[in-house]
Amino acid sequence: MTDEQIIRLEHLTKVFRNNHTVTAVDDVSFDVRKGEIFGLLGPNGAGKSTLIRILTTLLAPTSGTAYVGTYEVTRDPENVRAIIGVCPQNSTLDVELTAYDNLDFYGRLLNVEEKVLEERIWELLRMTDLTDRANSRVSTFSGGMRRKLEIVRAFLHRPLILFLDEPTIGLDPDSRFEVWQQITKLNTEKTTIILTTHYMDEAERLCNRIAFMDKGKLIALDTPENHKRALPAGDLIDIGFDQIDGRVLPAIRESGLVTSIEEKGKSVRISAKNGNSVLPAIIGIFEKYSVPMTSISIHSPSIEDVFIYLTGKKLDSGEGEPQPAGRGRPS
Amino acid sequence: MIRGAVAIFRRDMKKFISTPYVIIFTLFMPIMYLIIFGNAMGGTITNIHIGVVQSEPFTTETPLFTSSVEALKEFRSAPDKPTVFRVTVYPSEERAKQVLAEGHTSGVVIFPSELPGDDTVRVYEDSSDYMVPAIMEGGIKAAVASTGATNPVEINRIYGKIEYLPFFGVGVIVMAIFMTTMMGGAFALIRDRENGIIEGYLVTPVKRSSIILGIIGSGTVRAFLAGFIIFIVDILITGIVVRSFDQFLLVLLVLFVSSIGVTALVVSVASRFNTQQEYASTVAFFNLILFMTSGAFYPVQGMPDWLRWITVINPEYYTVDALRSILLRGQGLSVIWIDLLALFIFSAAAITLGITTYKRTIE
Repeated sequence: MTDEQIIRLEHLTKVFRNNHTVTAVDDVSFDVRKGEIFGLLGPNGAGKSTLIRILTTLLAPTSGTAYVGTYEVTRDPENVRAIIGVCPQNSTLDVELTAYDNLDFYGRLLNVEEKVLEERIWELLRMTDLTDRANSRVSTFSGGMRRKLEIVRAFLHRPLILFLDEPTIGLDPDSRFEVWQQITKLNTEKTTIILTTHYMDEAERLCNRIAFMDKGKLIALDTPENHKRALPAGDLIDIGFDQIDGRVLPAIRESGLVTSIEEKGKSVRISAKNGNSVLPAIIGIFEKYSVPMTSISIHSPSIEDVFIYLTGKKLDSGEGEPQPAGRGRPS
Repeated sequence: MIRGAVAIFRRDMKKFISTPYVIIFTLFMPIMYLIIFGNAMGGTITNIHIGVVQSEPFTTETPLFTSSVEALKEFRSAPDKPTVFRVTVYPSEERAKQVLAEGHTSGVVIFPSELPGDDTVRVYEDSSDYMVPAIMEGGIKAAVASTGATNPVEINRIYGKIEYLPFFGVGVIVMAIFMTTMMGGAFALIRDRENGIIEGYLVTPVKRSSIILGIIGSGTVRAFLAGFIIFIVDILITGIVVRSFDQFLLVLLVLFVSSIGVTALVVSVASRFNTQQEYASTVAFFNLILFMTSGAFYPVQGMPDWLRWITVINPEYYTVDALRSILLRGQGLSVIWIDLLALFIFSAAAITLGITTYKRTIE
């Protein structure tokens, strides 16, 4: 493992054998770099949560190895647990305890020093606006309040690596924004963050690099920009007009600037690798033949477009995440 | 309405069939009841250990002594039943009484010497037991009469007359400990797993042994408090007498060690279960078998041999024995140390088992 890497997966595979065999993680290898926010994206059942459970020592891989920090997860689980913080997908708060007691309980399990623990708990409660509810039972909290409490609990002990499995699921836009700010702030404090999410804007906004998973396999890993650049279609430029001169489109095609042109009635859709820089030239061609334009729009592909291109489906479709054997309540 | 009822019915049946473990244990329960109640409680009490001595001055065995001992050995409640008594001949009255005081025999029969004027057969019996004294009294009188002798039989109850209520009251203390344990520490362990809370703390550096010890600790305190409260209730309503402060402390010690042992047992059983159903059906089964064989409300001598073996590894048996020794017989550490030792060994084994079988992963 080089200095730059903090997590390394080598041919990691996890097979669940219940009534039928499910390969939840299928020969996955990648690195996570120190200090980055690493996004793990994929439809339900892609194996994201299983992968996180392996990295957080909750599940043993069927084959392959994974290093977290300098420790191998199956050989050195105790050392791994000492340097990570985890916010699991399903709530693990004890709803019979108060908000304060939940944090206090974990503070002790996480070996936070006694003399700083209380101050740290109040700091986190302030951060989540739960100061006045500190002594209320968590069972009286709304879903959003619980989620926020669970997230701050994960970094109570300022871990080296933070795993957030769908952190903002079920949160309102304001709360999501707060969580994003918090994640960004933690990241500037040198915490490496591994994030799974369904929200494309979240991944695009926060992540330095994004890994796409589908059916247990890693299908692409790069920065958001490179992912988009890798799309063969590039940017999309739509130009509207009343009447077109027959010479315009062949001229654009011959210019070599664009990858494809598609005429649809009173508009044309042009795909180009670098939309922003080729647009002036295209407008120039329209003007050269004195074709008046009624509208121009340009849009860059989103991460969602990348995802649809890579997997051929929308993120929200697909089947449920396979549950590990023996879990009582499915999420 | 019918459609809804059928839907609920179908759902419940599907769940029922998908949990074979629970079905087996729920069937096991009544079968065990049948065997234990039917076999042990209904059966005759046998294997009562009594000591026999011929009183001083001892020269030769009198005809009364030899024929009565023979009759005692052969005494049966009915011609086709096994013999009732296990008879040991002791060399002196003093020695026989000592063995009785240590609780190794249920009674001592002292036959008169050859001297004229001494013709009373004296019986000393452990009156802290239930049913056994009555059987013994009847058996001894019948044995003496069967030899044709007309000697009077004098009964001495060494712990006075003890009613069933205090006898049973001691057993109920043990039951309180077990019931609390069932709903206490181990239950929290299962609930954490069932609710998924466990996933939260399994990713912290907390050690497997810490989890088990913490749970056993909290369960022990609760079980101890329950046992203590029932102990006080016993003093108030069953007529159990605490003779000294030392005795009181000794009872607390027994309660505490028992609470550790029983809690650790239940936690070690629970450490591999995932659902409350599995746990509840298994622990109810344990509760039955341990309580039945503890001697809490029926003498262990009445049980068939194979069931008596369970008593040897049953912590509740040692607790009941220790508490009866202290509260009904007024004995001290010199007698109950063996019970305490057994409970300690048992607790240590159960804690170790609990820690080693606890699943540190969620699979």
